Parts: sequence; structure tokens; C-alpha cells
Amino acid sequence: MAVDTRERPPKASSKDAATAEQESRFQRYRIRTGMFAWMMHRLTGVGLVVYLIIHIWGLTALTDPETFNALIAKYHSPIFKVGEFALLVAVAYHAMNGLRIVLIDLLGWSPKQKRLFATLGAVTLLIILVGGWPSIYALGEWLFGPGSMPSLFL
Amino acid sequence: MASSQSNALNWFLHRITGTFLVFMLITHFWVQHYDHQVASVTHEVVTEKNEMPEYPEEAKEGVKARFGPDAEATPYQVVMQRLADPVYAFLWKGFNVLFLIVALHHGFYGLNNVMTDYIRNPMGRLIASVLSWTVALGLFIIGTYSVITAGW
Repeated sequence: MAVDTRERPPKASSKDAATAEQESRFQRYRIRTGMFAWMMHRLTGVGLVVYLIIHIWGLTALTDPETFNALIAKYHSPIFKVGEFALLVAVAYHAMNGLRIVLIDLLGWSPKQKRLFATLGAVTLLIILVGGWPSIYALGEWLFGPGSMPSLFL
Repeated sequence: MASSQSNALNWFLHRITGTFLVFMLITHFWVQHYDHQVASVTHEVVTEKNEMPEYPEEAKEGVKARFGPDAEATPYQVVMQRLADPVYAFLWKGFNVLFLIVALHHGFYGLNNVMTDYIRNPMGRLIASVLSWTVALGLFIIGTYSVITAGW
């Protein structure tokens, strides 16, 4: 959460206040694992809000069959398949790191946090591989020709 | 201060909506990408203009069973077969409206947290907050409209 400016007013000197404002907007910290996880959570979170806006806006096409068919056909183009995979990576990371935050905040799992971090990291990787296989499969079939990819569980 | 109390509630709600979203997203992904009969996105790349994705046999049969032997498995028809059963359509629409509310609250509350971290001016914060929640309300209205009118 943000630091409330009203509770921490700027310093008396106007020159000092200006530089303090400049420096504090993007505070520099030592980037350790937890900090990196927090930065990625924030980055994927903002990305997902942008996606949510586009997604809800795009689905207004559902009112017209022709527009909807054209939209879904476009979702099958190579660039959207890559995007689909990137979306899954962002969702899987944000969901599992969010779950880690919930388990620590609400269930007090902080003593077990190292093992929790490793376990959820492995789960995230599994979600990305299993969930992302349809996109990888589709791109592989397109790049290397039909039948070149093992369909596995699809 | 009243606002600090409501922020504590929102902080708690953010964790609750986040947990709900994990389960709702699993359902959403399963229906949209993995269920052979109703998934609207298939495992193939389409590059030609006006070319439609090829749906699995289960989807083709499902569409024919609902809309007659001549019905084609287009993306729109594949979605419509989900809504053909009134009970399922009601549940599906209910789920999606709930999903929409939870996702918008979670996303825009999170976005407001990020914005308050970088915007220090109280007036700037207020403007950013009002603007973002207006966008959220707009998305809620058009999203609900899409869900309710789908298949009419």
C-alpha cells in the first residue's frame, strides 16, 4: 500500500521537497526474490487489467454471428496463439503468487514460506506446460506441418 | 477515518475475490479451450482470410443435435449450443455475470492500489480513482449486456 502523503508531509525546504518527491516516486530497493515476485505480480496484474478491458470489449461481438465468427477466426492466427500462451503465463504466475499471498496473509503460512514458494513455483510451471500445450501444439503444427506434433492429451 | 476502514474491507475482499477467481478461471479455461464439445477456441492456427477453425467431431455432432443436420459448427454455433438448454443457459449466464463482477472488482481495486503508489497528489489520486471506476462500471454494463443478450 502507498504511504499517505498527508501523514508524511514533504520537508520544509521547497528545494529538498522537490528532490524528495522525484526520488520517492520510484523508490529503489535491493531486488531479492520476494521483491522480484512482487514486481512481477504488479506487472502481470496491470497487464491482466488491460487484457480484461480488451476481452470484455471484444465480446460485444457476441450480439452478431458474422462479427463473432470473424473475431474467433482472428483468435486462431499465429500472433494470437503466441498471445494466448503469454496470457496463460501471466495468469498462472499471478494466480499462484496471489495464492501464496493469501496463504501467508490469511492462514499465517509465513513460517513455511520457503517450501510454499518452491511448491507453488513447481505448480505454476506445471500449469504453464499442461495448459499451454494446446497453443504450443497449434503453433508447432502450423510451423512444421500437420502431424509433426504429438497430440498427447488433447 | 471512514476511508481507512473501507480500505481494510477492500484489502480483505481483494484476497477473497482473488481466491474465487482461481476457481472461476479454471472453469472458464476448461469450457473455452479444453472441452471438445463446447470449446470455442481450437488447437489450430488459421491464417487464411475467411477461413474458420475446424472443430472436433464432438462439437460438430453437438451443433447438429441442437440445430438440425444442416447446421455447421461455426464459432458462433458452438457457443450457441451451450445456450440452447434453458437451464444451462441460465446457469452459464449467472456464472458469467458473477465472474465479470469479481474480475472487475479484483482488477480495478488492484489497479487503484498501483496508481495510489505512484500518484502522490490527492487530487490526482481522486481523478485516477474516479476515471478507473467509471471505466469498470462501463465494462460491467457492456459485459452484462453481452452475457444477457447472447443467443437472443
